[in-house]
Amino acid sequence: MAQPRVALWAAEADDMDDDLQDMSLGNYGQNGHYDDTFFQQPQIDEATLMAMQQHMAQQAAFAQIPDVVKGFIVHFHQAVLENNLPEITIAYESGWNKYTEKFYSRTEWPEAEIIAPLVNDELYYRHVYSRLQPNIDDRFHSYENSCELFNYLLNSEGPVQLELPEQWLWDIIDEFIYQFQVFCTWRSKVKSKTDDELLMLAEGGPVWSSYSVLNVLYSLIQKSKINEYIVAHQAGKTPEEIAEIVGEYGVRPLYRHLGYFSIVGLLRVHVLLGDFTLALKVMENVELNQKSPYTRVTACTVATYYYVGFCYIMLRRYPDAIRTFVSILNWIMRMRQYHTRSYQYDQISKTADRMYALFAICNALSPSRLDDNIANISKERYGEQFAKMARGQEDAVPAFKELFLYACPKFISANPPPYDDAAALSALLAPASPDPSSPEYETSLADPAQRHLNLLLSDVVAYTPVPTLRSFLKLYTSLGAKKLANFLDADEEEMVQQLMVMKQASRSVTHVSGGKGLLDGQTASTSDLNFVIDENMVHIAESTVGRRYAGWFIKNTERTQKLYDDLKHQPLPPAPKNAVASTPAAAVVADAKVAKTAPKVAWGGVKAA
Amino acid sequence: MATSWVSPPTRTELIEDLVSGVDRYNPSNVSILEDYLYHQIRSQEYDCLANLAILKLRSPRHRSPDFNLCISLLDERSINANLDEPDPLPSLLPTLKHLADLLYRCRFPAFWEVYQSDELEGLRDNYTVECVGFEDAVREVVIRAVKATFTRISADRLASYLDLSGSELAAFVEKKQWKMDANVVSIPPNPDNQIEATVVQENIKLAQLTKVIAHGACN
Repeated sequence: MAQPRVALWAAEADDMDDDLQDMSLGNYGQNGHYDDTFFQQPQIDEATLMAMQQHMAQQAAFAQIPDVVKGFIVHFHQAVLENNLPEITIAYESGWNKYTEKFYSRTEWPEAEIIAPLVNDELYYRHVYSRLQPNIDDRFHSYENSCELFNYLLNSEGPVQLELPEQWLWDIIDEFIYQFQVFCTWRSKVKSKTDDELLMLAEGGPVWSSYSVLNVLYSLIQKSKINEYIVAHQAGKTPEEIAEIVGEYGVRPLYRHLGYFSIVGLLRVHVLLGDFTLALKVMENVELNQKSPYTRVTACTVATYYYVGFCYIMLRRYPDAIRTFVSILNWIMRMRQYHTRSYQYDQISKTADRMYALFAICNALSPSRLDDNIANISKERYGEQFAKMARGQEDAVPAFKELFLYACPKFISANPPPYDDAAALSALLAPASPDPSSPEYETSLADPAQRHLNLLLSDVVAYTPVPTLRSFLKLYTSLGAKKLANFLDADEEEMVQQLMVMKQASRSVTHVSGGKGLLDGQTASTSDLNFVIDENMVHIAESTVGRRYAGWFIKNTERTQKLYDDLKHQPLPPAPKNAVASTPAAAVVADAKVAKTAPKVAWGGVKAA
Repeated sequence: MATSWVSPPTRTELIEDLVSGVDRYNPSNVSILEDYLYHQIRSQEYDCLANLAILKLRSPRHRSPDFNLCISLLDERSINANLDEPDPLPSLLPTLKHLADLLYRCRFPAFWEVYQSDELEGLRDNYTVECVGFEDAVREVVIRAVKATFTRISADRLASYLDLSGSELAAFVEKKQWKMDANVVSIPPNPDNQIEATVVQENIKLAQLTKVIAHGACN
């Protein structure tokens, strides 16, 4: 049952190769690194620079900014003003990071106000969060700044005439949620707060409240009519029809991109808050295949698959989780040669690493042979834990724990500690719960990750006897229940109940092709070992997978074809003096033409491997 | 099955709007959803997403640390998740969790033993009685497991799983249109209790061959 899906999936993955590689070429500012020499060229507006400098001359702080940085900021600002997308992209993806490395890796960029006419505040606070320890003022201001930006976008009269690179738009949403998450984590630690901070938090009101963050994301989705756009797009409507449907905001790439990234942002926020069903529900209209135009924003694609896969784990749909991780991990591997140049490379490989860990968890709970390559890499990295998890003995639980806590998202509590209620706060700070019957209450309030871990572990504990049972069943085609119980040194009735668990563990709701939405699915068998109990006799049947030759043959046929073509197009050896035959030469020319139009051979991952 | 779970046919338009939009976070709507929950309990309907929305709205007010545990109950789709009323939750929840766990691990006799015990009289009298068809819903969980695992099962064993005996059991078996014969109940064939050893052969899709064929066509 599961096998045909495998082939289908693999086939799809191969289709994706070309599209993805082509698209990715335009990404990451391939036009090269942001170049200082650019400023020395006469067409750069020296006058603007001078004017700006004079205007700011009184401010000593401004004077301390290295000239090259000032130049960068002016240039950047101009590009934004002129909606010059390629320039913005290069400046953003390469320049910003370059100067951050060079001048500001240990300090803050100049105050946003000092360079206010020059640079977007958003970048300033992002830098503060990623490189430095933000103080509470930074945290509050970054919230206000984000709100201002979103207010500007959402509540101006009519759509804002601004073009920004997709990558940057993704980073804005991503960073907004990241800062929200960091703030919540920081807020949940009551003990380490100073009095000032406590006071500000008590009066903080809606600053970084879940409701306001969700409101921004929902508003962006509504304003951009992105869901309507996706549905219309899938229905194959013409661009004119789509423009009609999505309205004046939706037609602008800025809003459309922000809308899409907000959907992914919602997915993430819902996961962080622990609502996995809803997280998948918001992705309802998004087709999770790698032909989506948004695969160009690598970080977005990786995040989407990570959170979707994680949701499937928490909904106990392990085969779906495996499918999700396999697809994105293969993609990351193929894309490696491109995104090593990306400033997000670190982030992407960290996420990939966590997905290998999650994959190991899924594979232990629901063994599959969907992709041996990914399975092997996962085993290389987490072999020790995987062995423990798959064996299902006592040491399985700590192994699950370790990998889960390493790989899970940074969960947050939706509800702040009661900063506005001094009595409740001191009660919370008081050591040891007065009610010994609910020790879970205290720990779980402190650490949402622990709660989600328990959710997984309840499943793990139910499954731990399965591997042993399985290893016995594999040896027989039929076997008395009593005899089996004797082998296991277990009570017969107890073992029969365990067999029912095993039966249910081998069934899972699985997404089927053509199914609508990520939550949709049908029950499918996930195990190659099937059994049934006839009163007191267990009958067992095993499905085996025939050897697979096709992939190997196809791959090698394509290689040979390429080799043959290359050979044929080698320049001919110097012709012997009087052998001037016109026909072979003509044939070579004709062949050369063909070679130009023929697609390049790129069987899955050969080049990237 | 999954479709009706995401969007049950019994869900009204008003609820659909509430569940899908940002309105679900508006605390003033919680009473509408709770009325809906009450209606579900009365008429044996079940709408997981709407109930999750209630939990989400409820959690800020009661600061329930058990929000996710509630989710775990709801995810298992055992009917007793409908019991979630926040106030007695901290004391009831561990019990409910334990019961759900027993069901999940197919420890049916143990489930009934705990459920019918004197300690849980309060739970039965105050809560599950409100939830129409609670015990039958649990039996449905049992039936699902038994149907998938057995082709024939002894009546005694089935009785202990269902907490039914004698004429009740006979009536139950008859209602399911199963056959009881000499103290053994036969379960009709279904996709899960039919087993067959198969060899899965690889299946080559045309798409895999396009490059090879295209190359052939060029020459």
